[in-house]
Amino acid sequence: MIKRLVLTLVTLFAVLTPATAQLPSGGIKGTVINRADRSPVTGAKVEIFKEGRPSGIVSTVQDGTFLLEGYDRGDWMIMVTAQGYLPVQLNVTLSGGVRDLFNIGLTPTKAVENPEDGSDFMEFDLADTGYSDAPTVLFSDDVYSSIVGYSFGSVRFKNRGYNSESQDVLLSGIKLNDALTGYSPWSLWSGLNEITRSKATTNSMEASDYALGGYNGVTNIFANPSSVRRGLRVSALTNSAMYRLRLMLTYASGKKDNGWSYAFSASGRFGGNDWIQGVFYRSLAYYAGVEKTFGDAHTLSLFTFATPGIRGTQNASTQEVYDLMGDNMYNSNWGYQNGKRRNSRMRKTFEPITVLKYEFTPSDRFRSMTTLLWRTGKNGYTALDWYDAQDPRPDYYRNLPSYAYMEEEDIDRSNPDKADWMRYAWTASGSEFDKYRHVDWDHLYDVNASSPDGRSKYAQEERHVDQNDINLAESIKWRASDLFTLTAGVTLKWNRTENYKQICDLLGGKYFLNIDSFAERDFAVSEARVQNDLDYWIRHGEAEKITTGGKYGYDYIAQVRRAGLWANGAFHKGGFDASVGVSAGYDAFWREGLMRKGLFAGTDDAGRDIIIDGVNLTTRDSKGRVVTSKGKSEVSRFFTGSAKAFAGYTFVGGHRIWADAGFFNDAPTFNEAFVSPRTRNTLMDGLTTKKTLSGDINYQFSHKGYNARLSLYYTRIWDQSDVMSFYDDSQHSFTNFAMTGISQRHMGLELGVSVPLPLQGLSISGVLSLGEHIYNSRPHMVQTIDNSAEIIRDEEVTWWDRTPIYKIAGYSPEGTPIYDQDINGNFIITGYKKHYVAGSPQVAAQLSLNYNIRYWFFEINGQCFARSFLDMNPLYRTDYACRGGDANPGIIEEMTAQEEFAPAFLLNASVGKSWFVKGNQLGFSLSLNNMTNNKNVKTGGYEQTRLIASSGKDRYYRFDPKYFYMPGFNYMLNLYFRF
Amino acid sequence: MKKFLYSLALACAVLSSCDIEPLYIESDLRWKKYEPQTLQPTHTIRELSQMYQPGKPFVVNRDLIVGGQVVSTDQPGNFYKSLFLQDETGGLELKIGRNGLYNDYKQGQWVYVNCRDLSIGMYGYKTGSYGGSGMVQIGFSDPTGEYETSYIESPLLVNTRIIRGEQGTMPEPVAVESSGQLPKSSDSQATHSLLGRLVTLRGLYYAKETFVLLYLDSTKDKKLYTNRVFLSDTNGATGDDKTHGITTWAMSKSKMTEYLCAGLWDDCKVGSGSTFTGQTLADFRGDGSYPGVEKAAYSVSQYFTMGQTSIQVRTSGFCKFADLEMPADVLSGRRALDMTGVLTIYQGSLQLVVNSQDDWRYSDTGKKLYER
Repeated sequence: MIKRLVLTLVTLFAVLTPATAQLPSGGIKGTVINRADRSPVTGAKVEIFKEGRPSGIVSTVQDGTFLLEGYDRGDWMIMVTAQGYLPVQLNVTLSGGVRDLFNIGLTPTKAVENPEDGSDFMEFDLADTGYSDAPTVLFSDDVYSSIVGYSFGSVRFKNRGYNSESQDVLLSGIKLNDALTGYSPWSLWSGLNEITRSKATTNSMEASDYALGGYNGVTNIFANPSSVRRGLRVSALTNSAMYRLRLMLTYASGKKDNGWSYAFSASGRFGGNDWIQGVFYRSLAYYAGVEKTFGDAHTLSLFTFATPGIRGTQNASTQEVYDLMGDNMYNSNWGYQNGKRRNSRMRKTFEPITVLKYEFTPSDRFRSMTTLLWRTGKNGYTALDWYDAQDPRPDYYRNLPSYAYMEEEDIDRSNPDKADWMRYAWTASGSEFDKYRHVDWDHLYDVNASSPDGRSKYAQEERHVDQNDINLAESIKWRASDLFTLTAGVTLKWNRTENYKQICDLLGGKYFLNIDSFAERDFAVSEARVQNDLDYWIRHGEAEKITTGGKYGYDYIAQVRRAGLWANGAFHKGGFDASVGVSAGYDAFWREGLMRKGLFAGTDDAGRDIIIDGVNLTTRDSKGRVVTSKGKSEVSRFFTGSAKAFAGYTFVGGHRIWADAGFFNDAPTFNEAFVSPRTRNTLMDGLTTKKTLSGDINYQFSHKGYNARLSLYYTRIWDQSDVMSFYDDSQHSFTNFAMTGISQRHMGLELGVSVPLPLQGLSISGVLSLGEHIYNSRPHMVQTIDNSAEIIRDEEVTWWDRTPIYKIAGYSPEGTPIYDQDINGNFIITGYKKHYVAGSPQVAAQLSLNYNIRYWFFEINGQCFARSFLDMNPLYRTDYACRGGDANPGIIEEMTAQEEFAPAFLLNASVGKSWFVKGNQLGFSLSLNNMTNNKNVKTGGYEQTRLIASSGKDRYYRFDPKYFYMPGFNYMLNLYFRF
Repeated sequence: MKKFLYSLALACAVLSSCDIEPLYIESDLRWKKYEPQTLQPTHTIRELSQMYQPGKPFVVNRDLIVGGQVVSTDQPGNFYKSLFLQDETGGLELKIGRNGLYNDYKQGQWVYVNCRDLSIGMYGYKTGSYGGSGMVQIGFSDPTGEYETSYIESPLLVNTRIIRGEQGTMPEPVAVESSGQLPKSSDSQATHSLLGRLVTLRGLYYAKETFVLLYLDSTKDKKLYTNRVFLSDTNGATGDDKTHGITTWAMSKSKMTEYLCAGLWDDCKVGSGSTFTGQTLADFRGDGSYPGVEKAAYSVSQYFTMGQTSIQVRTSGFCKFADLEMPADVLSGRRALDMTGVLTIYQGSLQLVVNSQDDWRYSDTGKKLYER
């Protein structure tokens, strides 16, 4: 990898360096636009400086354009300012002729850019790195947001520790967060960076023009043809941490004189990377759109896009496995077949989105936007499935040395010789050992091929979540006066998502039998109960034999309906800004089972119990309700309401203060509501809306290249629910674990500073994010046996929010602590350790040195991340997993403790250059990440839900957790043209 | 411009050059098929068994090869994690320790075991007048001493020591017509060729006796007497009927729950040996669901006799035929059965483990008990 990189750099610089000194002199022109809605900004002042001294000033005319003429070759700086917008500073190198800066976006003072979505990093047209992790250039208004958004993706940093569901992502005014999970939908337009570059983003609780939003900002991607930058753009990108090559071609006509606009884009991402074997991309993306403006007031857009593709995925493993392989990037998902690397887990997607948008702008004071969006297609995820055969995963715990031997004497794993044999299989050199370290595809095929009647014991399944999503949204913006602006809207969503799995590959066999292997553990003697499709079995007298493409296992439809109203009133007078917004919503969802499972047969069409061979297959829950897998479930309905307020003041001299506050009431999602949607219609008891109370206060300074932002925030989220399914060793059964009453508290500080240094073009910047994001409740949990819906536990998750610290009176001769007790015999707790929300470092800092000259930019930065925590498994925090409750303090401390990852330091650098040749722009950017080649940075992981019983069966131990690591040194090189 | 274009092309070509190894994406039926191997055995199963001295398991440190045909299958679930091999001199258990063995080792298939690094030991040996021999097995050493061998488990060991050979025809079971042909309590594979082999025992009559070991909580120590309940002739049985009401070959979880909640075992005492807690299962009845007793699948020994010799028919509660009802005329002792299975010995007592429900037939008609 290094050799290739060095060779490329040498070649690149040798070829390119002489090309910079041949351009004639001239001036600067461009168009100043509102970054939020791409409208021209009239009357903006554009001032040009030479070595800090003003050399000229012009104002933009009605269409936002400006022209500065008569300036010598060399380096210049221009400052663009306008009332109601944050100022922008640009370094420009003049080499002759008039330099066209194209669009210069200004950010409204209450809508600060936050490109943390990972799909974009800048709005300026001066450079086009076109890649999510490309370095920023020249300038950014909100130094905190731009640095965090662009630079912290490698450690999966989350804004204020919030999960992705809390960020509202809109496409042309339609909220596209997943209807079932709430997850943000960025993958729907991966590879269409040029199309989605134009967007309006608000931070925190600031209201958007397109939605009221929640507490984690709103991003509205325009994506209509006229919003795509005019011209032809071609780029080629290669990197060593994701995929080998990305090619992208985009053309946009811009708005033509006849009112038409059109745009298209196509891209492809291909290949693997240098770090994680088995991971690859073969993904395409396309976009086509057309737009027509009728007269001055009516604009109609129609566009469609999709990202069809296949992607090999990575899997987490335990540290034991990583150590055995000597590689924290080990990926257990793949193995060799016929000399090729084959990944068992692939994401296969094709989800086209079509949008029809109508905008009505009868005056510059009123704008109405109506959007109809349809999303459809398929989203599959492959995995290995097997029936009555050995677990094919190479890192299955029984294949590891720790299964034979552990140093802990209390665990009955005391066979070091056997452990040595297992270790040898992992560590010995030679390709003959590959089958022990990777998926042994040959063996899977052998088993299937030797099956007497062609029945596959192993298969590759494809789990589908296929959405049909129709949305209608109407929003208006009415500037009633210079003092007051009203934005409001109505939204409607109709979602029908089919969840099923199908056979992707029979791996040499002829069919896969549609029976439930988990059910067979308890009901091996009952042929009816183990049927995944009981109706088929009743009709044909045997289980269905599934061939490639056939549905099996489970099949149900998630139906979701949503309606919402929102309004926001914004006041502006002088330097004072304020807004108040409210929203109301209605959410309904239900499940429609399409497959009648033998476990939960329900009743027949006449409502009678289903009795087969004298056995009544109809089961009822503790409240006497029929438990069924087929048909329509009870409909969950929720009415929600939210409110938010904002007030700010901009002082003379670039100072601004503002505060946000809001209360949000959100319905639970479909996936949080059903106990086991794959098997039955049962809803979680005690479902309620999720509440959030949030506030922040902020200070921002932006003047003559100095930028700073300081924010303090506090957020409390409560009444959340969660559901998970796992094998519970204490029950010897697959179980469902439903939790309600989960609360979190997020508070912290954000600081961003950018300071120009005396040498023109040189600046230093830094950010600090200091948070404390904790759980602060003891949720209630109900655990049920998946095969029977029998409730086995109904209690509090006692240690979800904290680990107790017991007072130690002394130590035994063996060195074990003796815990102190009070006069009543109770162990004395001296304090608690908090449990933290996982998924993001709670302390993050970066210091950068930037240098921009003659369209070169250089940056070197150091980053530090700390206070990252492992995602917790609630099972370990229950009294029964801690066995003995307060009677055994040492076990409680051990079982309930939360792992904190070691702090990480990263060193990164980037360099880039743009050229303007005969009106065309070309350039490159190169980023070098993790230059110290730190391969021990944990970016995430989770605790397994398995328990190990002690040899005396008097306590449990945990299974080892699984981790994800960040790649070591990696690069990204992007080359681009713009015509 | 040209130079830039060239540089772009070159940079992309170098950096995005093909991955080191090709990736699989399209469906492909080509794979490296396993080729059966044939090894020359150095020892017969009897010779290997004769190398074992009671109470002295040993690890083989040379290439000692035995070969035989697979006569068991774990497909219906009555065998678990191990298989039985037999040659013309006898049979033995190979403790592989993995699930779904029938996918790799099919009945009748030749299998060769190079015992290097494996352990030879015995399961079920007990001294004294109420004891007797057990079964010689091939497994891995067990440093805890709890058993003489442990499961092999290591995939590397399994693949390199247990060699799959050609598929052969399933050996015909040895017909045992009278008790005189059966091993004695002191016999082992070293002395009797039927042990560990597939046999058909003819003319077995039900002895109206069962044996089951229940655990109140399987997650707690199974050796604690406070956690054990023996359904045996000395606990809870009345008169000549020592069946405890169990009329199936074994008990799935649901069948066990049915038996329990019917109160059939209420008189059974909690404890083991001669040590009891003073409780009976009736004390755990609660609301009738016996909340203090864990519901789970259980193996059952159903006792039969051949002449004066008692044979335990061991059936797993996890197998697919666990809950099959024994026919009334069998339960009553009026009708004899022929059973085909692997004959083993545990502490001097003979046991038979069948592969499937097809292995039970009426002696008089030869018909299967359970037609499918």
